[in-house]
Order: sequence, then structure tokens, then C-alpha cells
Amino acid sequence: MQWWCAARSASWTWTWQAYPGVWLLVLALAVAYWLVSRRWALTLQPDSSTVRGRPGWFAAGLICLWISLDWPVGALGAGYLASVHMLQFILIAVVVPPLLMLGVPAGHPNLPAGPEKWLRLSTHPLIALVFFNVVIIITHLPSIVDALMTTQLGSFAIDMAWLAGGVAFWWPVLIDRPERPGFGYPLKIGYLILATIVNAGTFLYLTFSELPVYATYELAPPLYGISPLDDQRVAGLLMKVGTAAVLWAAIGIFFYLWHRAEAEQT
Amino acid sequence: MNLRAEPTFPTRAGLLMLLAITASCGPAGGDGEITARESEYRGVVLDPGPRPDFTLPDLDGNPYNFSAETRDKLALLFFGYTNCPDICPVHMAGIAAVLKGLPWEISDRIAVVFVTTDPERDTPDRLREWLGGFDGGFVGLRGDIEEVNRIQGEVGLPVAVLPSASDRAGDYEVGHAAQVLAFAADDLRLAYPFGTRQADWKHDLPLLAAGFAAEEPQ
Repeated sequence: MQWWCAARSASWTWTWQAYPGVWLLVLALAVAYWLVSRRWALTLQPDSSTVRGRPGWFAAGLICLWISLDWPVGALGAGYLASVHMLQFILIAVVVPPLLMLGVPAGHPNLPAGPEKWLRLSTHPLIALVFFNVVIIITHLPSIVDALMTTQLGSFAIDMAWLAGGVAFWWPVLIDRPERPGFGYPLKIGYLILATIVNAGTFLYLTFSELPVYATYELAPPLYGISPLDDQRVAGLLMKVGTAAVLWAAIGIFFYLWHRAEAEQT
Repeated sequence: MNLRAEPTFPTRAGLLMLLAITASCGPAGGDGEITARESEYRGVVLDPGPRPDFTLPDLDGNPYNFSAETRDKLALLFFGYTNCPDICPVHMAGIAAVLKGLPWEISDRIAVVFVTTDPERDTPDRLREWLGGFDGGFVGLRGDIEEVNRIQGEVGLPVAVLPSASDRAGDYEVGHAAQVLAFAADDLRLAYPFGTRQADWKHDLPLLAAGFAAEEPQ
């Protein structure tokens, strides 16, 4: 039994397989959310033990994460189809983090000066954007993908890098801690628009390469006659279209919120 | 070249056979050992030798003499079977994809010959359909497994390993050599193990085909 999805040379089968590492991760996040929410609620509202977060959002994020990592999506993406691997990327790095963050309870306990300073630096929009795009580039390099996807630990590392990159990227626009009064709606919208542009390099590389770039998917047991090159091109397009769809949806929402805030002021 | 983790039976068999071939076989009719040489090619350059002279029925039942039919071409020879879950379709798809992208003058000088190691299930119609899914120009040959194994021995490959007759009901896998053999001009011979990428084929095929004169378009 594998604990995490990784590339295998066995031909694909629709027989269900267990990946207990995925279940443990999802369970650990759910328990951590419950504990942290409860603690924050007690800290911020000592007279109430109710969770003040939005557990529906967090649960949606966890379900998305679970679907993207577990069989069959996780297994197909790990070793058979680059397009499904890209779908995993979009879910884990672009869709899951904002859902999890929207579930974070409102209000946050104060941090000691050291961690507060580190948090302020690491969630700076410029640093977050650079970090996210470095993660995108590195985790899509053929040498990295081919080296890591054949081991469960390597595959886990890529998935966690995507999740960490996504959390870093979405933090400045969704979490109001630390407060950045200067980073209002216009800058948030600009930040998201910039993000739709900067991953173009990976998209172009995957979509317009004349040959399959990943040995993992090129040499995988074939699936329904899908050619590795077509699969890779779909992956590239999916990266651009899927990421852009989520980002432009967010941009639209921020435009609406900006407009509403302006209207309330006047 | 990437040899993926956790090989299945045919992959393991292929790897074992690759080890076996690198340790034991030599040029057809010769006694030298296969040795990889430093070269401009991505494939493993073997000791030089003439292309094998064998005859098997093609998919129309006509005798196909490998040496004579491929004399003026770069010949890629592979022994496999159509129910193979990994090595065979990956090799065939990779070669076909690269051939499609090569100029006609080059691709016309390349012959791909697939000899089935599972003649019971690989009927002519089945082979024709399967090979046609990759490239209509691929040649399929089908003979008695004893004859096929004799030929494999002649070209320095280990014999195909089939389950016993009583175990051959339904789905079964056939152990077979995982490398494509290339027979180029001037008795140049190369082996391309499983893990050969399309980029490798794209690099080597034009170089190897350059040793043959292009035929005039019909």
C-alpha cells in the first residue's frame, strides 16, 4: 500500500486504492482548525466557546484538497496524465487556499513581536507573489517533476509546496493580519491581475513544446490512447485557463467589494 | 532515460533482459560482447554486424525477409505484443510521434518492424489495428513463437517468456526484451531500451537515416 500518490509503472486501473497519508493530512487539518478556532474563540471571547469561523468554507477547502490528492485524481496526476497533474496544481495551489482562508475565524490573537515581524515580512504582497511564482516554476521543471514524482515523499513535497505557495499567494488579499492599510482593493486587484500574467512562462513552455517534457508522463503506461504531447498541451492550457478563471473571479469579487465600499462611504 | 519505480512484471522482465543482453549477447553470428560505446547517438551502440536475415509472414501472410525488405533503410526492430500494458505501446507511440514530425525524405528512409511475441492473441487483424493506431506504415510480422524466439536469439535478445498453455486463458502478460534494435548503414547497430524519450528518437533517427539515400517520390 502507498501512503501518498506517486508515479508507478503499473498500468492504470479503476480499482480503488487507499492513500492513508491523504486522509491523515485532511484529518489533521480539520482537527487543527477545530482546535485553533476554539482557542481563538476562547481568547477573543472568553465568555463563549463557540467557533466564530466559517467552517463551511474551510470544509469546502478540505473537500477540494481531499479530492485533488486522493484516488483517482491524485493517482492519475502523479503518474499518468500531466493534465490531471495540472488540475491538481490548480486545485491545491489556487482553489484550496482561499477556501481554507475564508474559513479562518475573524479576529486573531496578538502574536509576540518576533513572529509578528516574520509574519509581516513573509506575507508582504511582493514576497508572496515572488514566492508563489518561484514555487510554480520549480515544481514544473521537468528535472524536478521526474525526480520527485516517482517517490511518495517527492510527490508529497510537490503537493505541499503548491499548498504553501498558494497560502502565501492568497494571504495578502484574504487575511487582514498583519494589517496593511495601504494594500486596499485597487492594489489587491492589481496584485491578482499581475498574477494572471506572471505564470505565462510555464504555460508557454508546456503548451508549445514540440516534444513531451516530462519523462514521468511520456513513459507512463498509456491511458485511452492519449498522446503524451496532447496531454501536455492540455496541461499547459489548463494551467492558463484554470488559474485565470479563479483569479478573474476573485478580481470580479474585489471590484464589487471596492465599489460597494465606495458607495457606502458616499 | 527514466526507468520508473516499481516496475510491473513486463517491466521487470524487460529490465532483467536488458541486463542479460548487455552481459551475454553479441552481434548476429558473432561471439563478441555488446558494449556501449561513446558516440554521437543517444542509443546504445552495439558491436557492428549485418542485419539479421530472417523471414516471417507479414499480416497478409506473405513472406517478409527482414534483411532484403529493409536493406536500403534504417530498420527499427522490436519484439513485443499488443496486449502489453506499457513498454510496447510507449515505444511504438514514441517512434510514431517522432516519425510524424520528421521531413518525408527522412521518415521514408526508416522502416519499423514489429514482431509479435504473442502470436496466439495477436491475430493479423489485431496486429493491423494496433499498429495502425500508431502508424499505418509500421510492418507487423507474426510467426510461430519457436521461430520468433530463434530469431530473437539470433539478434542477441533473450527469448519471450509466455505463461504455460494452461495459464494462457484470459489476460496474461508476456515477458519480452524491452529494447528496440536499430540497424543502420555500414552494419551500425544500436539498442534503445525502455526509457528512450521522443527527444532521443528525434535526435538519433535523422542521423542514422542519413546513411541511406532518399528514394524519389512516387
